[in-house]
Amino acid sequence: MIVALAAGSLALTGCSSGSGSGKDKSQSDEDAATQSKAVPLGTAADSTGPAKAVKDAKSGGTIRVYQRDSFNHLDPAQMYVSDQKALSQLIFRGLTSFQQDDKGNDKVVGDLATDAGTMSDGGKTWKYTLKDGIKFEDGTPITSKDIRHTIERSYAKFITDGPTYIQKWLSGNGTSYRKALPDGPYKGDHLPKNVLDTPDEKTVIFHFEQPQSQLPYALTMPGYSAVPDSAKDTKDNYDVAPVSAGPYKIASFKSGKSMQLVRNKNWDPKTDSMRHQYPDGYNITFNHQASDSTKRLMADKGEAKNAISFSNAVDTNATKQVLEDASASKRLVQGYQPYVWQMNFNMDRLKDKKIRDAITYALPSSQIVRINGGTYGGEIAGGLLAPTVAGYKKGYDPYGKLTHPNGEPEKAKKLLKEAGKTGMKLVYAYSNTEARQKEAVVIEDALDKAGFDVQKKEVDAASWYEQMGKVDNGFDIYMTGWGQDWPDASTVIPPSYDGTTIQNGSSNYSHVNDKHVNSEIARISKIADVDKATEEWQKLHHYIVEKVNPAAPVFYTKVLQLYGSNVGGTRYNTDVSYLDPNTLFLKK
Amino acid sequence: MLPFLFRRTFGAIVTLILLSAVTFFVFFAVGDPALMSCGKNCTADNVALIHQNLGLDKPLPTQYWDFLSGIFVGRDYTIGHCSAPCFGYSFATKQDVWSTMMDRLPTTASLAIGGAIVFLVIGLGAGLLAAWKRGTVLDKVVTGVSMVLSSVQIYILGPIVLGIFVYSGVMASPKYVDFTSNPGGWFMGLLLPWLVMSTIFTAQYTRMSRSTMIEQLQEEHVRTAKAKGMPARYVFLRYAWRGSLIPIVTILGMDLGSLFGGAMITEFTFSLAGIGRLAINSVTTLDLPMVLGVLIFSAALILVFNIIVDATYAFIDPRVRLS
Repeated sequence: MIVALAAGSLALTGCSSGSGSGKDKSQSDEDAATQSKAVPLGTAADSTGPAKAVKDAKSGGTIRVYQRDSFNHLDPAQMYVSDQKALSQLIFRGLTSFQQDDKGNDKVVGDLATDAGTMSDGGKTWKYTLKDGIKFEDGTPITSKDIRHTIERSYAKFITDGPTYIQKWLSGNGTSYRKALPDGPYKGDHLPKNVLDTPDEKTVIFHFEQPQSQLPYALTMPGYSAVPDSAKDTKDNYDVAPVSAGPYKIASFKSGKSMQLVRNKNWDPKTDSMRHQYPDGYNITFNHQASDSTKRLMADKGEAKNAISFSNAVDTNATKQVLEDASASKRLVQGYQPYVWQMNFNMDRLKDKKIRDAITYALPSSQIVRINGGTYGGEIAGGLLAPTVAGYKKGYDPYGKLTHPNGEPEKAKKLLKEAGKTGMKLVYAYSNTEARQKEAVVIEDALDKAGFDVQKKEVDAASWYEQMGKVDNGFDIYMTGWGQDWPDASTVIPPSYDGTTIQNGSSNYSHVNDKHVNSEIARISKIADVDKATEEWQKLHHYIVEKVNPAAPVFYTKVLQLYGSNVGGTRYNTDVSYLDPNTLFLKK
Repeated sequence: MLPFLFRRTFGAIVTLILLSAVTFFVFFAVGDPALMSCGKNCTADNVALIHQNLGLDKPLPTQYWDFLSGIFVGRDYTIGHCSAPCFGYSFATKQDVWSTMMDRLPTTASLAIGGAIVFLVIGLGAGLLAAWKRGTVLDKVVTGVSMVLSSVQIYILGPIVLGIFVYSGVMASPKYVDFTSNPGGWFMGLLLPWLVMSTIFTAQYTRMSRSTMIEQLQEEHVRTAKAKGMPARYVFLRYAWRGSLIPIVTILGMDLGSLFGGAMITEFTFSLAGIGRLAINSVTTLDLPMVLGVLIFSAALILVFNIIVDATYAFIDPRVRLS
C-alpha cells in the first residue's frame, strides 16, 4: 500500500475549502462513523446470493475506465496495492469478502464459502465450507483443493509482493514460514493436515498455533483469492494470465496500455451475495494523469459519460472548479482512505519525550492538509489510527492539533527550553515530490519558530522508504504514511510500533522499542474476541500517542472521485476505499 | 560508400555498448528495484529473495555479460526461453521487454514520422514562400507567426488544444489505432498530436528554410544562372532550393533526438502509450531491463537515422565525398 500512497502523494497545490456555498461538504463523518465500528461477521443467510438488486439498475453497455497506472500484478498472491482492489473485486473471489449495505455498513460474509467461517478451539481452528455452483472461468468447479493450493502457493519463492498474514499464522513468523513449504505445492509437497486440512471437496480447515480472530478479515484480501490447482497455474507466468472466478474475466491485457473485461459466463449470481454483472464489460485504458481524467469526466462528452476511474482522484488543482460546476458537483463520491500521515521521530536520536512533544505541538497541520488538496484531500489527525480503523474515537486529540490547527509554537518553545535544547539541530528528511517539498517549507518555518535549528535533507522519492527503513538512517524526523490492510488496528500497530521487529527494511520507522508496547502487542494479538481486542488496541493506541509519542499525527487521507453522467449505482466502498465496482451500471 | 558505412556502423556499435554499460552500472548506484515491489514486506530476507528471483544476486559483470549475450543468443528464464534479440523481462510487470517495445513502437514511430512530415512540408513550404516573397506582407506575417510559435511548447499548446477540441466534445480523444486495420482512424486519432507536436518544429524550420534560401539566392551560381536568362522559378527550385537543403538536412539529423523527445512529451500530453512513456515509467520504477531495452533501442534508431542522414548528403550535395 505504500506504493499507492507514495504515488498518490504527488498532490499539487490545494484549494482549502468547499463549494463556496458556505457549507463545507467535505465532511464525511457518517462514513467515519460507519467505519469506526468493529466490522461484524455475517451469517450464512448474509452470504447467500444473489446480491440485493441495485435500485434502477440496467444491464448492458461497457464502462470506460481511466487509470493512471497499469496493473503491475495480475497474480492475486502478488497483489497488495489498493489501486488493484477494484479490479480484483471484479475478477477474483476468495473464501470471504466484505459486503456493504445501502447505509455504508460493512459485514464480512462468505464469498466462495457458505459463511464467514466457524471458529473453534478458542480461535485456533477455523472451518470453511464451499458453496455449490462456484466455478472458475473455464467452467471447472472450485474445490477445497484449489483453496489449499491458493494458500500453499503463497509459500513459493516467486511470491514475494503479496500479504503474508495467513502464511505466518500457519507456519511461523518473519520469513521462516517459507521453510514449511520451500517450493510451494509445485513438487507435490503439502502442508500437514494438522496445519491445513481438506477432508473433502467442500471443506477447508485451518489449524493455528495461536488464536487468530482476524482470519475472516485476512481472507478478504485480494492476495488470498482462489487460484486453480491445475496446469492453469503457470507460476511466474500466472502474473500475466490469471484465471477469473468473479463476474468478469480478462479478454485482453496490454500492459501499460489497456485492459478489456468481459462477462464471465461461468459466474453464477446465485452463489454471490455482493457482486453484480450489470455492464457487459469494462474498457480500461492507462496513462491518464489525474488532470486528464478529471477534465474528461468534468466535460462529460461522448464516451466520458460512461466513464469512471478505479483509483484516479479528482485533480487537486481542479477541486474547486469541480465543486463549483453545477453538473460535475452532482457526480462525486468521497470517503476516507486508510492512510495516516505521521511525522516519525527517530527514537534512537530524539530520546527526550519533551523534544518529541515540542515538535508535535509545533507542526502546522492545517497548512500541510492544504498542500495535500485541502479538506477534500485530507483531514487533520489527532491520533495515529485512521477513522477507518475499528474503534476510532472522533475528537481524540491529546496534542490539541484539532483545536490549534496551525500549531502552537509558544508551547513548543517552552517545552524545548525545559528540555534544555533550545536551538538544537534537527535533521529533517523529506522526499522530492512536489507536495513533500511544499510541506518542507512550512514545516521548517514552524520548527524554526519553535526554537529548532532545522537541517533539511531532500531524499529521492523512489528510494524514500528504503532510506527511512534503515535502522541507522541518520535523520531525526521524516514523514511516512501507513494504511491498514483491513479495518483493524492489528494491521497497523504491530507493523508500525512493535520493537521486536526493528531491522533494516522494517516498517517500524520510528524504531520505537517500548517494553509495555511490545508486551501488549503480544498479548492483544492473542485475544480471540474481536470486540474485546478492538477495545484493547485503542487503549494501546492511546498509550503510544500519549506516553511514548513516537510519531506526531499529521493527517488522515481522503479521496474525491468524479464519474460520468450515464453511470449509475455509484457509491464509495469502504473496503476498496474508492468507488464501489460491485454496484455500477449504465443508465442507458 | 562502403568504407563509410562500415566505419559508421562500427562506431555506432561501440557507442551502444558504452551506453548500455554506463546505464547498467549507474543504475545500481541509483536504487534497488526489489524495494519498488516488496511494498509492506521489505524485510532483508524478502529483499534477498526478490534479488535472487530477478537475478540481481549475481556479480554485476556477470549480470551485464548475461544481458549482452542475451541480445545476440537469447536467454533462459524460469518463465521460459527468451529468444534473441532478448532484452529480458520487465522487473515490474513480468512482460517481455522486446515485445513490449515492439508493441509501443508503432505509436511513437507514427507520432515522430507523421509529425516530421507535417513540419517539413509546412515549415519548408512556408519558408520558401517567405523567401520568394521576401519583404512583402506575406513574408512579414510568416516570419512573425513563426517567431511566436517557436516559443510555444508542446505541454502548453497540448492542453489548450485538448480543451478546445476534445473536452468540448468537438473531436474524439486522440488515440493510436493500428494503421493497417483502420487508416482513417489512425489519421484522425493522431491528427491533433501531430499538429501540436510539430508546431514548434514547423516554426523553427520555417525560419531556417527562409534564411538559408535567402542566403542561397545571393550565391554566385544562382546569380550566374539568373544572368544566363534561366526562368526565375527554375533557378529558385533547381539551384537555390537544392543548396538550401544541405544545412536543413544537417539540422534534421541533429533534431532526431529532439523529435523523439517531442514524441515523448506528446505521448504524455495526449495520454498515448508509446516508447517515450515506457522509458519514463521504467526509469521511475527502476525497471532495469526495460530501461536498458528502451535506451539501447532508441539510441540504435537514432544512430541508424544519423547514418542515413549523413549518407543523404552525397545525393544532395555532390561536393560531399563519403571517403
